[in-house]
Amino acid sequence: MANFKQTPHYYLTLLLLMLSACDANEALHLSKNSVIYCSEGAPESFNPQTVTSGTTIDATANQLYNRLIEFNPTDNTIIPAIAKSWHVTRDGKMITFYLRKDVQFHHTSYFTPTRKLNADDILFSFNRMLDKTHPYHAVSGGKYPFFQNAQFADLIDSIERINSHTVRFRLNHSDSSFLANIGGNSAVILSKEYADQLAGMNTMAELDNLPIGTGPFKFKQYSSGTFIRYEPHQEYWRGKSELKQLLFDITPRDTGRLTKLLAGECDVIAYPIAHEKIRQHPDLILESVTSFNVGYFGFNTRIAPFDNPKVRQALAYAINKQAILETVYTGQAEIATGLIPNSSWAHDASIIGQEYSVTKAKQLLTEAGYPEGFSMDLWAMPVQRAYNPNAITMAKLIQADLQKLDIKVSIVSDYEWTTFLRKISEGEHQSVLLGWSADHPDPDNFFSTLLSCGAINTGSNRTFWCNQEFDQLVQAALQTDNINTRKGYYSQALALINEQVPLIPIAHSKRYQARAKHISGTLLRSIGGIDFHGVTKN
Amino acid sequence: MARDKVYQEEDFPTPLMQLWHNFKQPPVVMIGFSCFIFLIILAVVANFITPYSAVENHLDYLLLPPAWSNEGNISFLLGTDNLGRDMLSRLMQGASLTFGLSIIVVAVSLVIGVIIGSLSALTTGIKSSILNHFLDVILSIPSLLLAIIIVAILGPGLENTLWAIIMVLIPQFVHITRNAVKEEFAKDYVLASRLDGANSFRILRYSVFPNIIEKLISQATLAQSAAILDIAALGFLGLGAPLPMPEWGAMLANGIDMFYIAPWTVYLPGLAILFSVIATNLVGEGMRHALKVRKES
Amino acid sequence: MLIFTLRRISLFFFTMLLLTILSFSLSFLFPGEQLINLTGQINATPEHLAALAHQYQQQASIVSQYFSYLSHLFQGDMGYSMASQLPITTEIFHRLPATIELTSVALLIAMFFGIPIGFFAAIYHRKVPDNLILAIAMIGYSIPVFWLGMLAILIFSIQLGWLPSAGQISLLFEIEYVTGLQLIDILLSDSEYKWQAFQDATRHLILPVIVVALAPATIFMRLARTAMLEVLDTHYITAAQAKGLTFAQIIYRHAMRNAVIKVIRDVGLQFANLVTIAMITEMIFSWPGIGSWLIESIYQRDYTAIQGGLIVLSTFIFIVHIIIDFVYAALNPLAREPNHGT
Repeated sequence: MANFKQTPHYYLTLLLLMLSACDANEALHLSKNSVIYCSEGAPESFNPQTVTSGTTIDATANQLYNRLIEFNPTDNTIIPAIAKSWHVTRDGKMITFYLRKDVQFHHTSYFTPTRKLNADDILFSFNRMLDKTHPYHAVSGGKYPFFQNAQFADLIDSIERINSHTVRFRLNHSDSSFLANIGGNSAVILSKEYADQLAGMNTMAELDNLPIGTGPFKFKQYSSGTFIRYEPHQEYWRGKSELKQLLFDITPRDTGRLTKLLAGECDVIAYPIAHEKIRQHPDLILESVTSFNVGYFGFNTRIAPFDNPKVRQALAYAINKQAILETVYTGQAEIATGLIPNSSWAHDASIIGQEYSVTKAKQLLTEAGYPEGFSMDLWAMPVQRAYNPNAITMAKLIQADLQKLDIKVSIVSDYEWTTFLRKISEGEHQSVLLGWSADHPDPDNFFSTLLSCGAINTGSNRTFWCNQEFDQLVQAALQTDNINTRKGYYSQALALINEQVPLIPIAHSKRYQARAKHISGTLLRSIGGIDFHGVTKN
Repeated sequence: MARDKVYQEEDFPTPLMQLWHNFKQPPVVMIGFSCFIFLIILAVVANFITPYSAVENHLDYLLLPPAWSNEGNISFLLGTDNLGRDMLSRLMQGASLTFGLSIIVVAVSLVIGVIIGSLSALTTGIKSSILNHFLDVILSIPSLLLAIIIVAILGPGLENTLWAIIMVLIPQFVHITRNAVKEEFAKDYVLASRLDGANSFRILRYSVFPNIIEKLISQATLAQSAAILDIAALGFLGLGAPLPMPEWGAMLANGIDMFYIAPWTVYLPGLAILFSVIATNLVGEGMRHALKVRKES
Repeated sequence: MLIFTLRRISLFFFTMLLLTILSFSLSFLFPGEQLINLTGQINATPEHLAALAHQYQQQASIVSQYFSYLSHLFQGDMGYSMASQLPITTEIFHRLPATIELTSVALLIAMFFGIPIGFFAAIYHRKVPDNLILAIAMIGYSIPVFWLGMLAILIFSIQLGWLPSAGQISLLFEIEYVTGLQLIDILLSDSEYKWQAFQDATRHLILPVIVVALAPATIFMRLARTAMLEVLDTHYITAAQAKGLTFAQIIYRHAMRNAVIKVIRDVGLQFANLVTIAMITEMIFSWPGIGSWLIESIYQRDYTAIQGGLIVLSTFIFIVHIIIDFVYAALNPLAREPNHGT
């Protein structure tokens, strides 16, 4: 008690001592070869077969797994991966893949591989999705949205094991997007040996939660919604990563990620805000890549008043895309006139979309029987994506635009991302701000995934718009290899979308990323997320 | 002071007048009090005097810094936010939301609290003991958690959060009324009027309340600073005022994403909250000081 | 002392009774079905639900429903989180320790700084230091905590780069979960980076603790000041002065101890307030505690989590109350034997 008066000084000194001791930064030698990536959301699963969300793809696809074939990050051509070569017959109905013989699976605390990758693993990985009677088919809910959207079950007649390192896909009809789909993020190769081990222990659900793959990193630890810890895969066939640890620090708040980057707690962050600030900072690099995406304003076409195409058209006229582009995308995007980005070969410049015109909107709305407007809800996605860096601001702008038509908009945005997506796919919304990043460069990835009737069941068609004519056009486009014929079909499809407006495409944006200067290597890819193989820290 | 009247009693100031006399002595308190009055006036007239509408987007003037900075524009004195809304107008209207509503919240919970408190002071035995314990339990739940629970029941929205804060504040008023009434009831003058045949309610109305009113007002200022902070905190967490409303806490939350490029969108609402809470606390402080001085004299 | 203890124990039971009744009735008040709110089984099949209804005695009277709820609670079953579908008990076990760590360190810091400064102000009553301290205290408890947290991050993490801005420890360190109290777990671990990890965890603790502690510290300051002024006004101090003791002797030997006792009595009441502040601070500093989890739960409409969180957090606060009561009683014999004291 007697030295009460000295206590404050004592603690202050202690504090200062601690601070100065920390400034010495001895902790560096653990952080030297570890990279912390601040990601924007938690993965829904550790198997990209079961999801299409970009967050999950980023966290898993390139880190944990490989595909038969992959895309060249610079020009998006198809390059060999697990398949060292392949052969397509002239009629396009038989594709044979010749596998590498040196591909080793991850060795972790829960699985020790006894053999290298062979044809059985390929058969297992695809049959699991295609064959409804396969024991693993229903394990994680039986939904494989990417493949169901591409209608693989109808397309693939059978997959044959020719020998231990050769597999052959037999198709029912030729499909010009087949190879692109096989190289897509979701077409990853799993280990059959691991699946058999799990089946033996009766813990089959672990297949998608405790992953085993062939990729550059292996799974170490996942703390739900907080972080993922990966370790390098020592026997990776492309050569082991120089990193000691790769951490995904899940930081949903945009400001939180930027703060961590500025404070040096993250080495790389996804979807940075305040680009100016990062550009001015001497130790940070802002990078971007043109990505195949679209941000859109979609309607639930099953619910009044949005079952009326006139109302949807009216809204398309009422929205000031230019203002959104400047405010939400800070000018770093191009206005979307159709579903397809301008850089795609399927883009049709003659379709220009609805211009901003309140009078036209008003007129259409009166024709549709709503001269007095109405009330609606607008679900704004709660996370930041390249195609929509700030859905809530966008929602507020749309709210103000529609106010001019006496339409009252209430914004729904307080759900967590997975809950949000679930509710949207159940059709709880009237309208929604969402978007799409392509899994592969083939334009079919936009049409089939977002607006086909089949995609309603897989939950990726959030407009519930089902148009037979559109589906036929998209199917016809897939059955030909002639690029001009395909382009013709897609132009018709785009015109149909433009007329029916199940959704209003808003912008095609770049994907941004910021990193500290001491991180080198190519991380960003225009297709399918990030890749930490080859990244080093100095 | 010269007195015109012979009988001193007639000029004897009421307790509130005495309080006012003591209250206005320290200059700091008077500054706080003027700020407080200023905020009240602002809260009432803000809607009529703002330069722009608080929800109007000026898309040509996005994220304009305050006028005193180089890139500022004099027509937007405190700058604009990410949708080009005028910060000054928003802050002014925020005064009627955050500060104005806090007064209403406190008034409502004061009335309810006093009624329950006096009723409970008149009961004795097991009923009163249960109530007492119940209050203790409620007081041991963190106010934010209690508000969250009530919001979960009623659903988010400004009106519901106000009810939540009212309910959070009631127990304190019950507590203080109950103790004060009990204390007064033990005094001799109450006994005197009881002997005159007055019933309990009459005693409460005419004898007890005039004597405890200052205690209640002093508690009310404490409660009000808590109410401002709670309204702002719930707005900040996105449970209170819905999106375009210029509630200070919600404005601050909205500004977080622009923190690094437009810091004023965070600084200004924060300062507004700080300013109003300090003004309220100064008034409360002055009140308690005046009470103490009067008691001592 | 026995009577004192018994009274506290009975009070504790009564409180728990009220709390569980409150939490049980919340399952009726929350939107949605009561059974699902209580168990959190949102994806349950009809058969599974029927079995649950039987388990929770849904067909019986409300009283037996309550008792079956209680028996589930006693078995550590608080249902499943509607958002993550993990058992609430597991979630709480992983998050409560972080909150305990943050709040208890903040409480101690607030006392260690607040009380002596309050005494200091009382000693210089109505002089410059007193007024200065009162003014600072006024700002301290008027400042909105979320704003303070952000300013602290801006200044100390970003401008100066001294302290980290988020989390409990850098993710680089792998610390095994034993008690959940990060600092203790680090000391128990056999990592080669133990000392580094400990330093890192301490650095992570500093900013949130200061932000949480500021407002309570200013309140303790005021309480301590008032208590000291009261004590200095008593007869035994006058007596001590009459004996010719110096001012310093009076303060150290007589006044301090009695004033501290007076302050400690009110510490318990401030703790609920401190936890409220900690809940928001956890949110700002991404502290993996129960407060940020509860705020997250309301975004997800995770009613089961809110009920569980209510019980656990309130119980924690109440236990701290009782501990402080015991400390008070240990320091102050008058509180133990009220009959002889007066």
